[in-house]
Amino acid sequence: MRQFAIRAALTFATFWMIVTLVFVLVRVAPGGPFDGERRLPAEVEANLRAAYHLDAPLPAQYLRYLGMLARGDLGPSFRQKDFNVNELVARGLPVSLTVGGLALLLAVCAGVSIGLGAGSRPGTRADRLLMSVTNLGIALPSIVLAPLAILLFSVKLGWLPAGGTGGPGHYVLPAIALALPFITAIARLTRGSVAEVMQLPHIRTAQAKGLPRRRILRRHVLPMALLPVVSFLGPAAAALLTGSVVVEQIFDLPGIGRYFVQAALNRDYTLVMGVVVVYAGFILTFNLLVDLAYTRLDPRIRLQS
Amino acid sequence: MHQQTSFPERLSVPLRTRPRAGFRWAPLLLLCACLPLAAQTLRLGNPGEPETLDPHRYNLRLEETILTDLFLGLTTFDADGRTVPGAATDWSVSDDGLTWTFNLRPGLRWSDGAPLTADDFVYAFRRLLNPATAASLAYFMYPLRNAEAVNAARLPPEALGAKALDRHTLQLELERPYPYLPERLLYPTGYPVPAHVIERVGDDWIKPANWVSNGPYQLVDWQPQASVTLKPNPHFGASGLEPGAMTEVIYQPIANEQNGYNRYRNSELHAISSFPGGELPRVRRDMAEHLRLSPLLSIMYLVFNTRTPPFDDPRIREALALAVDREILTGPVQRAGHSPSASFVPALVSDYEPVSMPGAELPATARKLRARELLAAAGYGADHPLRITLRYVSGAETKRTNLAIAAFWQAIGVVTELHHADLKVHFSDLRQGNFQVAMAGWFGENNPEHYLGLWASDTGDVNYGGYRAPAFDAQLALAAAEADIVRRNALLREAEAIGISGFPVVPLYSVTVRRLVDPALTGWHENPRDVHPVRLLRWR
Repeated sequence: MRQFAIRAALTFATFWMIVTLVFVLVRVAPGGPFDGERRLPAEVEANLRAAYHLDAPLPAQYLRYLGMLARGDLGPSFRQKDFNVNELVARGLPVSLTVGGLALLLAVCAGVSIGLGAGSRPGTRADRLLMSVTNLGIALPSIVLAPLAILLFSVKLGWLPAGGTGGPGHYVLPAIALALPFITAIARLTRGSVAEVMQLPHIRTAQAKGLPRRRILRRHVLPMALLPVVSFLGPAAAALLTGSVVVEQIFDLPGIGRYFVQAALNRDYTLVMGVVVVYAGFILTFNLLVDLAYTRLDPRIRLQS
Repeated sequence: MHQQTSFPERLSVPLRTRPRAGFRWAPLLLLCACLPLAAQTLRLGNPGEPETLDPHRYNLRLEETILTDLFLGLTTFDADGRTVPGAATDWSVSDDGLTWTFNLRPGLRWSDGAPLTADDFVYAFRRLLNPATAASLAYFMYPLRNAEAVNAARLPPEALGAKALDRHTLQLELERPYPYLPERLLYPTGYPVPAHVIERVGDDWIKPANWVSNGPYQLVDWQPQASVTLKPNPHFGASGLEPGAMTEVIYQPIANEQNGYNRYRNSELHAISSFPGGELPRVRRDMAEHLRLSPLLSIMYLVFNTRTPPFDDPRIREALALAVDREILTGPVQRAGHSPSASFVPALVSDYEPVSMPGAELPATARKLRARELLAAAGYGADHPLRITLRYVSGAETKRTNLAIAAFWQAIGVVTELHHADLKVHFSDLRQGNFQVAMAGWFGENNPEHYLGLWASDTGDVNYGGYRAPAFDAQLALAAAEADIVRRNALLREAEAIGISGFPVVPLYSVTVRRLVDPALTGWHENPRDVHPVRLLRWR
């Protein structure tokens, strides 16, 4: 319990540091939220700055922001004037979570299947083929793969929408594009541990007993081989959530990653902060949960810390 | 009526003919096929996400596009972008050009059925200029009497030169003669807003649930970064203007040109506002009936920082201006259909003959020779070359353009370092005078003053280069006192001639917008303002 309290306190301190750092960084970046191509007379700019409390000294702005954050209020968006940041996050997050969740599901299903197929016959031609195909997933990042997929499946074949939202079909290509590198990672992880487990005495015994191959794999090999995959899922889930920034941009998906990019370009201070707070919250929570899960799964980790 | 069917049809083909390989996705494909576009729905790609749909707080062209469908100002556009009567049937102006009287259409109504009167317009102008509204384009209505003082909180909003003579008569009083007023009223800053709703719900009036407007359409849904959905305003017909034919209009923000191009080719959108310039030859070949090229009222130019050396020396500014070859720039370099312009006021401005930069008419070799002479006179030559930094907004097209400009200058012995930044940083630097020479653009009005005003010494930070020419300022002031549009434009033409002879800028080209539009849409006419109100569109 004490361990948990320390962990939680550390997580909270990290969170506070992130918020402070981003608060300073967005204001240090050149350009301001009201710069544009069009002329802005001095009195108009003064009106705008006053309306968003940007005329107050920086420490006062900082305390004001922390106070709002404590109340769960992410503030008004400087550029999306008709929505506040809470509303924007509430609309964007489900989209990002859907894409991320689908991608995670796909990555686990496809990754484990490929890994099992390759790892149960290590060194064979099938193994080499599957592993070299999955290597492509590392070599081709989603920023390359996604536009190619759009050209093929949307523009040439017309099977799937090229972008935007509106139906489940809009999530297919983004989820695949996002999942690909993780399919590769999970496949390689699974293949390694399956190959290792296959060498263990009880598996050989099962084989000698004449158990069907499928049953051995499902009952005896997979549960053991999946342990490293499970521990990979924590960071992977966080990475899929944050990784959607690029994919959302390519597919015109209205998730929080897209807000983040737009907000950064627009110097929308509160929206950038809001998205960072949400991302940081998710990543820190996942990490905390994974740490806790480790100590549950493996007593040695608890002893060491 | 046009049936938008190509999308589901194309989806259903693979379902029937594709072999087993795709069976895992079949359920998803079926779901997509069950969501066809409704028959009267118009889906338009907009180049970005609107920051607001409050006509007084807007700032972007892409917001203007949507607001034009949602509201009706005193004046409005026809399909060719000309200024025509909107909520006002006609207007008159006093001899001194200071008092304008607008007669409103009888029977005007808000989308909730409430009557719309001259008082609503008075309320709207006061709200726009009230400093509490923090309207970034409030200065669009500075021609109104006391507007600037109201906006700076030196006078109360009631002091504004706008009053209702009766329910259907609106009187606007101006600070100085401004013959372009009907045109200025086209912008959303001149739109009425529903006082009766704003007084009840405050800033939340902009939410779809509370939405009330007076244009052909009303806002029914807004999903940030996904879509803005409009439905017809049932009371628009009462204005006597013809309502729109589309039963639903969906504006979708497009993050970049390539996305929009892909989605248009996949029949997900009926029109897009731009596509990658490199695709122009292919579009001309394969999709000629979709292509719409329209020259836009705009000028792209290079601006010199005249405050500091070396560009405080007009000889150097002239030399660099002479070295640029606009034909090569807009031709083989850009290949995007932009029109070269040697004058700062775009050729599309009506009732006005722009003045070309001196020397622009000379052949290229003569211009280069003259440029070298000017540089030599200013003390620069082969052993002591002029070294400068050229700034521009990041992007593939701007990069090519500015590389070419650097090459033109290299030909006269100038060493140019290129520096690019995103739009915000670029214009922030320009405003602060933190540059030597930079690329900039000015878009918008059909009014020479809109462009020439950038060189006035009292213009402030959008006179990026800090250009000061007393003779030019005096001529501009002379024009500003003239109420007759023809005489005023003649005075402005003289001002342009005086201004450009000092080379504050190098005019480069006017932008040509390249769009793709479903050939089944009629009423979509190319026009220099690039406005296409949905009310005027029909399916073939």
